[in-house]
Amino acid sequence: MTTDSTAMNSVSHGRAFYRTQVFRRQMILAALVIALFLSLCIDLALGPARYSLGEVVAALFTPEAVSQQARVILWEIRMPVALMALVVGASLSVAGAQMQTILSNPLASPFTLGISAGASFGAALGLAFGVAIIPAAIEYVVPINAFLMAMVTAFLIHALSLKRGVTVETIVLLGIAMVFIFNSLMALIQFFASQQAVAAVVFWTMGSLTKATWPKFWIALGVLAAVMPLLARHGWALTAMRLGDAKAESMGVNPRALRLEVLVLVSLLAAIAVAFVGTIGFIGLVGPHIARILLGEDQRFFLPGSALCGALILSVGSVISKIIIPGTIIPIGIITSLVGIPFFLFLVLNHKKASW
Amino acid sequence: MSSYAFRTLLSALTALTFTAANADSITVTDVAGRQVSLDAPAERVILGEGRQIYLLGLLEPETPFTHVVGWREDFSQADPDNYARYLERFPDIEAIPTFGGFKDGTFDVEQAAALNPDVILMNIEAKAATEDAAYDDKLAELDIPIVYVDFREAPIAHTIPSMRIIGQLMGDEAAAEEFIAFAEEQMARVTDVIEDANPERPSVFIDRAGGYSDECCMSFGPGNFGEYVTLAGGSNIAEGIIPNSFGNLNPEQIIAANPEHVVVTGGNWGAYVPGGAWVGVGPGANMDHAREKLEALTERTAMTGIEAVDTGNFHAIWHQFYNSPYYFVAVQQLTKWLHPKLFVDLDPEATMRELHDRFLPIDYAPGYWISLNDD
Repeated sequence: MTTDSTAMNSVSHGRAFYRTQVFRRQMILAALVIALFLSLCIDLALGPARYSLGEVVAALFTPEAVSQQARVILWEIRMPVALMALVVGASLSVAGAQMQTILSNPLASPFTLGISAGASFGAALGLAFGVAIIPAAIEYVVPINAFLMAMVTAFLIHALSLKRGVTVETIVLLGIAMVFIFNSLMALIQFFASQQAVAAVVFWTMGSLTKATWPKFWIALGVLAAVMPLLARHGWALTAMRLGDAKAESMGVNPRALRLEVLVLVSLLAAIAVAFVGTIGFIGLVGPHIARILLGEDQRFFLPGSALCGALILSVGSVISKIIIPGTIIPIGIITSLVGIPFFLFLVLNHKKASW
Repeated sequence: MSSYAFRTLLSALTALTFTAANADSITVTDVAGRQVSLDAPAERVILGEGRQIYLLGLLEPETPFTHVVGWREDFSQADPDNYARYLERFPDIEAIPTFGGFKDGTFDVEQAAALNPDVILMNIEAKAATEDAAYDDKLAELDIPIVYVDFREAPIAHTIPSMRIIGQLMGDEAAAEEFIAFAEEQMARVTDVIEDANPERPSVFIDRAGGYSDECCMSFGPGNFGEYVTLAGGSNIAEGIIPNSFGNLNPEQIIAANPEHVVVTGGNWGAYVPGGAWVGVGPGANMDHAREKLEALTERTAMTGIEAVDTGNFHAIWHQFYNSPYYFVAVQQLTKWLHPKLFVDLDPEATMRELHDRFLPIDYAPGYWISLNDD
């Protein structure tokens, strides 16, 4: 009978361990949500037009009671930027997280696979030569170009990955080849473009949230909201993928089909984000790593955690980009790396066990 | 043999025959502060920036291209309206060999050497790149001096010295001094009055290339158009925010600063952004069209509720004034907008017309500016 009770003991012990683990992770997620909310509030409260906290709150909840300027500043200038930061940060981070998962590569991100580079190339075509890949309203030419080129890149990579004997490593190499091709094409465009256009292209590639508008925000949010449940549905399968294709297959996962579906979904996420705010490099790579260090590999926590980490980094970046030189906005792409890297290094160096 | 090639050959031959006899060795100090010795007058010149023809055209309005053996291709791209007018009068200019820019490293030093110039005129912003690639050393070995001029980085400070330098190089000192006197006299008409009256300075937002992209908002810091505004008796809202000549403002900053005047710089950018929201002012511009575009720009979020929109002090001016020796006309027009009562007698249009009649190879065509306050 003693063996039975030991078994019982270790099971209940395991259960208790599992419960504390889940509880701890839920608490971390909750803390991230709170931090995100605070950052959003600060982002809304700060700006060159110095409104008191009371005025900001009044403009938020009773917009018809405040001056037209306060209303426009809060609802048309600060709000789309602040919310766009959350959605874009979350989109890029989730895209990076799932690329790392399906490709079993810690360096995978929308950047490494050339999706951002493709988007930049499409945007540069529009900015420098006014080329519209499909005719559209002038203000959407650049984002639509960017989006189409990003999707073309993703499908190119996918088509090549269907060839015989192509492994996960080859896909990453193909992605890197894409990056170099598009970078050369970009340089070529800049070479032939006017000074004014080169400035616009350079500014675009630095990434800037000031491009945000309400319609763009709703589109980006819509895509994120549609993609997240589709990814969550595959949560367990994706967790299993991290054990390697062979083990995942033995658990009944079809790695090829799953990889294709996820690749399409995350390309969509990355393409939309890049199309609307330009290239913001660092989040897709580091957001997921921070989430992994904090929460582990279990998709139930890793997926929302990645989204929250990405959103938080970009939101804090947005605040900092406004306060470095009041009155001007430093492109967010420059800020995120500077802000995120120290925090990231701190986590990596203090983390006891290897997370990858 | 095309007439251009023939003329080039002819001028090369004349150069060979007469240079030795006519040329004196002179030393000029260029705007970079370098002492350059060379034989003047120069017969064969390469323009490191095509728009330097604005300066050369002032000196030799009848034959501005006689001595130009090669130039950078920026003129036709950046200022197509004026290029078309020059092309109409001087059809041969299409045959002049073109270069890439020094700054982006596309200048072909071999091509330059093959054209056997007496001097290469270079804009000062290309200096770092030129020295980086050691083009100056390579060209010096071929006895081809580089002379730096500038009318963009610091147009107010450098245009007149640049004019004088080119006058010396080309043996056109008298023409250069005549233009300098004209430019200084026209500037004084503004600065003297502003100094005397010391009027209150209305706040101005300079909307650099407004409507060119949906990005808001590019502007000027203390330099260039920022300096024009200061000289014209205005106060630039980006001063103290944008550290250098060029930079971007937070759209919210414009609402917060509530400028009394907005000056959009515009030009014909159809080649770059077809159908864009830019205001196509410039020589011979369609003013009805420009006005529609300008009105549309008041609808942008960053313009919400600012005084300039309410009062109609919402103006557009030719963007290329930022990079041309005609800056004083821009200053006159700005001050006319900012202080109409002080400058009732000032007629910038007449200044522009006189500039064309007295100095320039091409005829004046109006359309360089527009205001929503115009009737």
